[in-house]
Amino acid sequence: MADQHGRVEEFKEEIAEMGLRDPAAARDRTLLRLGWALMGGGVGVGIFAYFLSHGTTNPLTQRDALVVALIGLTLAVIGAALFTRYSVAQFLRFWLARLSWEQQAQTDRVVAALSGQGPEQHREDPAGAEALTPH
Amino acid sequence: MTAANGHRTNLLELRGIRAAYDGINVLHGVDLAVPEATVVAVLGPNGAGKTTMLRVAAGLHPASAGDVLVAGHRVNGCRPDELARRGLCLIPEGRGIFPNLTVRENLWMMSHSRRSLAEIEESAYERFSRLRQRHNQMAGTLSGGEQQMLAMARGLATDPALLILDELSMGLAPIIVEDLYQLVAQVAQSGVSILVVEQFARIVMDVADQAAVMVQGRVVQVGPPAELEDSLSQAYLGG
Repeated sequence: MADQHGRVEEFKEEIAEMGLRDPAAARDRTLLRLGWALMGGGVGVGIFAYFLSHGTTNPLTQRDALVVALIGLTLAVIGAALFTRYSVAQFLRFWLARLSWEQQAQTDRVVAALSGQGPEQHREDPAGAEALTPH
Repeated sequence: MTAANGHRTNLLELRGIRAAYDGINVLHGVDLAVPEATVVAVLGPNGAGKTTMLRVAAGLHPASAGDVLVAGHRVNGCRPDELARRGLCLIPEGRGIFPNLTVRENLWMMSHSRRSLAEIEESAYERFSRLRQRHNQMAGTLSGGEQQMLAMARGLATDPALLILDELSMGLAPIIVEDLYQLVAQVAQSGVSILVVEQFARIVMDVADQAAVMVQGRVVQVGPPAELEDSLSQAYLGG
């Protein structure tokens, strides 16, 4: 009990020292949307630069349009990177959960087939009862 | 089961928790506290939101409103692995073991915590001698009782300060459930705070210091288990 009290105090200290941040899920969603916005905005800036350069014969303005187009391209690349990062993370989380569930279901089916029982019957097997010897 | 509560701090506290799945509200303002060295049982019918509440407490599901306080600190949005590393352990419904790994490999997965594999194995096999015999067997081929033993062994391997148990009895024979709850009682006596959700009200009432009745996403009553008989009947049977 004394050991556990020390453990609880340690737990409280560690929780207090945690760098607590705002909800991660909300941040992921925001960054995903920011990625979309940057991609769209970058393309828009590129189109704007195209019309800017075509609307003038002044070489200085055309060079400015080149710079604006490059900024648009940069924004679109950053947006694409953000979008890919956070959409792939979402997909992989789902995929991992799905894989774990399928492995569990497959193992249950194999065990049930080997033992000639339904999955629920197998899980209710009281074979482990005598082995529960809590000290 | 544990000593009477004096002014114990709450290791876990939920304040006005609301949560939803795809816009459908499941929790409608849950308030619940787990004081230090106390076993709190949450009972209620299917669909009351008990599992969702545990998932919110463990950081696995975001709360749409309200505060989750661990050891007095707001942890909304904290990553579940960060909480788990520090000693908040959830043993989920369905056990959450790796079926395609052996018993030993499953225990090995817990060596990210503050203990070595040798220590984890020693304590696991001491508590559950059957696991020692099965240490090279695939976890998915164990019986239901043995899988739950492995899940408990993995949870306890993390040296938890706060243990959260979701439907320990699911799919198990009553005799195994009774033995598992004897172990839970012993863990509680060692001073670990426990929040348990269970459908077998009778068994868990013997272990709990406090019980809460949850209906339709709200905690409708909290108190000593003996005082909640009527609320429980209403929760399960209606009326």
